[in-house]
Amino acid sequence: MHEYEVKTLDFLAGKSPASLDELQAGTGLAKDQAMWAAESLLKYGAVSVKRGASRSIQVSEEGRRYAKEFPEEALVRSLAKKKEKISNIRDQIGLSWAKRNGWITISNGEVSLTNEGAKLASGSKQYQLRELLGKLIDSGPEPPAGIADRYKDAIADLAKRKLVDMRERSQIESISITKAGALLLSKEPKERGIGVLTKEMIKNGAWHDKQFKPYDINAPTDVSYPARLHPVREFTNRIRQKWFEMGFIEVEGPIIESAFWNFDALFSPQDHPTREMQDTFYLSNPKQLTIEDVELIGKVKKMHIQGWKEDWNEQLARSSVLRTHTTSVSARYMKKLAKAVESGSPTKMFSIGSVFRNETMDYKHLAELRQYDGIIVGDNLTLSNLIHTLKSFYSRLGLDDVKLAPSYFPFTEPSLGFFYYDEAHGDIIELCGGGIIRKEITAAMGLNKTVLAWGGGVDRLLLNDKIFGVGTLPELYKNDIAWLRTRGGIKV
Amino acid sequence: MAITSFDIKDIQTANGGKRELTDVVTEMGIEIEEATKQEIKVNIDPNRPDLLDFVGMYRAISNFTGKKKPQDNRYKIANPPAMTIEVQAPVKKVRPYIAGIVVKNADLSGQKLKYLINFTEKLADTYGRKRKKLAIGIHSMAAIKGSLTYTAVESGSITPLGSSRQTSFDKLMKEHAKGITYQDAVPTFGRSYLYPLLKDDSKTIALIPVTNCEETKITESTKDLFIDITSTSEVALGNAAAIIACSFIDSGADVYPVEVSYGKTKKTTPHLEYREMKVSMSKADGTLGIVTGRHNIISLANRMGHTAAKYGANVLFYVPPYRIDVLNEQDIIEDIAIAYGYNRITPTAISGVTSGMANDSVENDNKLAYVMVGLGYTEAINSVLTSEEVSFANMGWKPQKDSYVSIADSKTSSITMLRPSLLPGLLQNIAASASATMPQRLFEIGKTFHVKGGKPVEGKRIAMVGVHSKANFSEIKSVVEALFGQMGTEFKPERHDSPAFIPGRCATVSAGGITATFGEVHPMILKSFKIEEPAVAAEIVLV
Repeated sequence: MHEYEVKTLDFLAGKSPASLDELQAGTGLAKDQAMWAAESLLKYGAVSVKRGASRSIQVSEEGRRYAKEFPEEALVRSLAKKKEKISNIRDQIGLSWAKRNGWITISNGEVSLTNEGAKLASGSKQYQLRELLGKLIDSGPEPPAGIADRYKDAIADLAKRKLVDMRERSQIESISITKAGALLLSKEPKERGIGVLTKEMIKNGAWHDKQFKPYDINAPTDVSYPARLHPVREFTNRIRQKWFEMGFIEVEGPIIESAFWNFDALFSPQDHPTREMQDTFYLSNPKQLTIEDVELIGKVKKMHIQGWKEDWNEQLARSSVLRTHTTSVSARYMKKLAKAVESGSPTKMFSIGSVFRNETMDYKHLAELRQYDGIIVGDNLTLSNLIHTLKSFYSRLGLDDVKLAPSYFPFTEPSLGFFYYDEAHGDIIELCGGGIIRKEITAAMGLNKTVLAWGGGVDRLLLNDKIFGVGTLPELYKNDIAWLRTRGGIKV
Repeated sequence: MAITSFDIKDIQTANGGKRELTDVVTEMGIEIEEATKQEIKVNIDPNRPDLLDFVGMYRAISNFTGKKKPQDNRYKIANPPAMTIEVQAPVKKVRPYIAGIVVKNADLSGQKLKYLINFTEKLADTYGRKRKKLAIGIHSMAAIKGSLTYTAVESGSITPLGSSRQTSFDKLMKEHAKGITYQDAVPTFGRSYLYPLLKDDSKTIALIPVTNCEETKITESTKDLFIDITSTSEVALGNAAAIIACSFIDSGADVYPVEVSYGKTKKTTPHLEYREMKVSMSKADGTLGIVTGRHNIISLANRMGHTAAKYGANVLFYVPPYRIDVLNEQDIIEDIAIAYGYNRITPTAISGVTSGMANDSVENDNKLAYVMVGLGYTEAINSVLTSEEVSFANMGWKPQKDSYVSIADSKTSSITMLRPSLLPGLLQNIAASASATMPQRLFEIGKTFHVKGGKPVEGKRIAMVGVHSKANFSEIKSVVEALFGQMGTEFKPERHDSPAFIPGRCATVSAGGITATFGEVHPMILKSFKIEEPAVAAEIVLV
């Protein structure tokens, strides 16, 4: 018999039946060790086991957010103030649940409250789901059986909405020793060879005339988890490696940027839709940034007035934004190079960093994403050089089947895009956009060279099965420890 | 970007037929959102509003596939003016520019009316910036009495499209769907609106840029049209008028100009002009890395809708009026590349050796990350976007409003500011990982943000959290000391007070420009993050 089994029978001989907790406390075994011993002894009929079901209900992170207010509650509250056209209601989840709960009616495209809905909006009635969620938060992951039974359907609803995580498993309630077990214990020899090898034994050689007790190599052990880097760091380092191999130097730049460097210096017209608040994060503190290079402001202003034939407002250019692309880093670098133009070999530069879009999130969009951006500055550079560079980069990432097509950006001409078809998601994914920087821009910067430029998403590449294969981008930044410990590796 | 769709049965005939329509469209640089057997849905880039139009898209595809060649001087109007518009003073300050086009013998049967409305709506929505910069109205010419006046008033009424009752402008702005939608596009004068309008001898035919009147409504059988385009920008006005006029010319209708009178000055709209652009063939080849000589450059020009003539070493392109995106030679060179075919360009390696070089700050982060992994901490990467609730309320801390970076307007309430510290993010991660086996140890290295003297400061920090039933001060002290040892920084901790930590179990150490704060996390903080086990943590300011 294994040491754990002997300990278990020894304990049960004195107290039977015993709960798993009592057994653990009495034998000093860990939970999984005690459970293994009980299951193993059960096989030879040495113990009998009584089982019960246990259910754990864990409120999810989203559930905790809902504890204050459900979207359907927010919706009826706002409807109590003002009727709405159905087309104006953006929150589809709230809408469908409010309808399902009978709080609203929809007629002629207009949504209005029912009596029930009005009661809820006025607070004269409480929402059962939210009350229940509060109880579940207070009770912790193992709520009293009363709650679980009484609110079975409502709990199922919460689980369906991923507000709670429900797990059911059978659990050992008590263990008793059988006659066969007692007999087995009585036959177990008291002297069982060397258990733990000690420093003393090694020194004095006491192990020479004794046997080592053999271990059950199938006995359970604690699981070891290595500490690991985040997959985004691992992959970013792989990408950096590829650019280094291709002769690029690495540059960093600020995240908080003036509209000037993010948009204006890149010939993006001041009334361009992407500059609006709904796409770009503007800051309220600090609201404005200083643009140090006064001479450049004048040149950029001239470039806009001549190119777009519209006024250009310096005040708007000073607005502070979270950079929407790392091309702002490339723009700053172009200006820096203009002061120290070299002839001969081209200059190759790349940067990797966070970029921000004030947009609705889905599996391939987040408010913060990472981008790689690069430029090659030199003489006689061509679109065919750019295509070669990017194909070579993607091929180093194992992506040989990439598609090339013309594209549009205000700051490049000609412009191109690379794409690939992602089988797992059944979707065409844009890898990068790029082109030759417009002469208007290089002229304003005082850079008498051709500049090839591109920018592409880092995180998106991790959706690709050949590279990593994460299901959605939000998953990547949840930092769930269990996932971080057991995730697969970067394959390139 | 604007998404628009066309029925396959309508657009298919523009294709030469040898290749799949979707392949042709992709090659032209038009992004396909979705293609089914019935419909093709495309995403039109903002530089090509002419492609929002069915006629424009049909023209572009049939030129590109060679099914139809562009003709010289096709877009010249020989007809005399068929309408006059008088612009009055009040509107000159708020929405000064107007163009008119008269179209006779238009064919709006079948899908054509739907395509026209869809095109002009999307043009006003994107190029016209939700009608604020530019708007378009289409009227039945037969319903217009006499000549037109463009002015602006403080009050008035109209029978809006789709209604049978006269409604006052003020009421329309509050109650009519279009009035509510386009509130921001109507100019104001002091606290009240100043309504731009277009009227004929008997009625207001358009409240601009909100709605037309019911009386001049067009149907599938309307033959003669009057189109008004109004704008705050003279350039945008001219461009939109050119795109619309070219579209009607290509649809086979007769286009007549309109005379616009600004007091003494008179202008005739639309103004259709071919622009001549000289392109050096060697420059085109040199930019693209191809040899066009072997190909007929004229036919490449034709595929993109231009007509062209050879001029020694140069080629003279005649850019049609609807191609408002062409600013200069570079844009023509891109057109040559698209016509040549991006996928036919041979990728060519760049000559000249360069050496790669890593950035010190990124390498330093890596070095620290490897030390932390060696100490048994797993790395987390959180977004720098966060909220006051997570950063401050949960941490029992209330900083000066002007000391951190806040965001003006966000689509989600969980994003209102940039993180000034890393710890709250890690505590959130721990709370979300409650079911993972203990001990749980996480670290993060990343940027943090502050505002000092009105200027943003981007700093770098490293933070770590250890959670398990026996987590205590000496554990975290030992880890911070090890990290300081690896960084070669002196480690002499001092007692410290911080709302995040248990009083008397928190220390700070500052040396070589690096400051660390560490200790046992206060149970109040654990409770606000919903963490049920003891935790120790450290946050180290690196830069």
